[in-house]
Amino acid sequence: MSERGVRRFVADLLSGRRPRRFRVEEHEAAELAAAITLRAARPGAGTPREEFVTDLHHRLAAQLRAQTDQAATPLVKPIDVSRRRLVATAGIAAGAAAVGAGVDHVLTTEHVTGAVGGQPTLIPNAGQWRTVAASADLPEGGMTGFDLGTVIGFVTRSGGRLAAVSGLCTHLGCRLALNAPARRLDCPCHNTSFALSGQLLRYQLAVPPAPLPRLEVRESNGMVQIFAPPAPSA
Amino acid sequence: MSRRTAAQPDLRVVGDDVYPDWEAVYRDNVERVYGLMFAKVGNRADAEDLTAEVFLAALGPMRISASVGEVRAYLSATARTVLAGHWRRNFGREVTMFSDTLDVPQPTAAEADPDNSAEPTAAASLAQRMLAGLPEQYRQVLRLRFLQGYSVRETAAALGVSVSNAKVLQHRALRRAAQLSPGGEP
Repeated sequence: MSERGVRRFVADLLSGRRPRRFRVEEHEAAELAAAITLRAARPGAGTPREEFVTDLHHRLAAQLRAQTDQAATPLVKPIDVSRRRLVATAGIAAGAAAVGAGVDHVLTTEHVTGAVGGQPTLIPNAGQWRTVAASADLPEGGMTGFDLGTVIGFVTRSGGRLAAVSGLCTHLGCRLALNAPARRLDCPCHNTSFALSGQLLRYQLAVPPAPLPRLEVRESNGMVQIFAPPAPSA
Repeated sequence: MSRRTAAQPDLRVVGDDVYPDWEAVYRDNVERVYGLMFAKVGNRADAEDLTAEVFLAALGPMRISASVGEVRAYLSATARTVLAGHWRRNFGREVTMFSDTLDVPQPTAAEADPDNSAEPTAAASLAQRMLAGLPEQYRQVLRLRFLQGYSVRETAAALGVSVSNAKVLQHRALRRAAQLSPGGEP
């Protein structure tokens, strides 16, 4: 059974095909690795085709163009809303500071819609630090999704800092998809997009959805961990 | 020898130069990234897809103002993540991975060497080491099949054995090679 997967993998490698996927058992991995090492040693093997290099060049140019266009054109319209919210938030914060309350507290407990500054952080009543990735798998600029059973989200490392946000659209709760090339989270339901920081990037709805709640994230013993409720018992 | 002394990640192999634009980043690194990937997947289709994934993921967020060394390190780190994702997604297990020091210095050292065409590549010397530990017939069958691209039939003829014998030989030889390879111990 398992033998077959290895044999097919090796046969594919030798005939220059893309190896078909299969579930590799632990004892099989070394054999596949040896086959790859040997195949990669064939003279000229590590040199890319010219067509590929040219084609990828075009794809990259197109992607970068799309990114600059997107950054240059004002996004659908959350700008007005943000400005209005900012003013309101500043007013509340100033008042709170006067009575000695922490500004952070005001910002995180206030229910906000589409504001730039007001992004709540989820802190569950009974949470624990749960591992979602190895630190090594999240290099600078890296991003990855996670599903902890009780909470789903995305974690990124940017500017040396980790940040995590919820993975559910704040409109009606559809699951966001990671759009890695554009570095954003796309809602499959209504064309809403969020930045990896959780801020609303664009929407086509009458009312702008709130930014994504943040999740607490830390790094411990080479692991990236999220503060979330324990997994539901099956 | 001097190459070996660089135990810490060698981030500034080519100094603090800066790339003029993303196209220079691409031109200077596409072959290196492809070579790294091919050495870890052993086939063109996957190596091309994964190389594309690295550049598509890395070029957007990358600061062009970073030094050449930093850009290369960043691409290598992205390559590491992309490769790991490929294996986990399609095979449920990381069959190959980049070493911690990442194979960054090797191509750079080769670049510095004008007549590097005669030099064995990193992949080739790794394979040679693997073959060196095998009995003669095993070594032969693997060399013919993997390095020289012989068919089973041609291999059988060259070794003077039957086709089914050649298949069995190849199978056993690969298994033995896996036991001998550096990462191969259980």
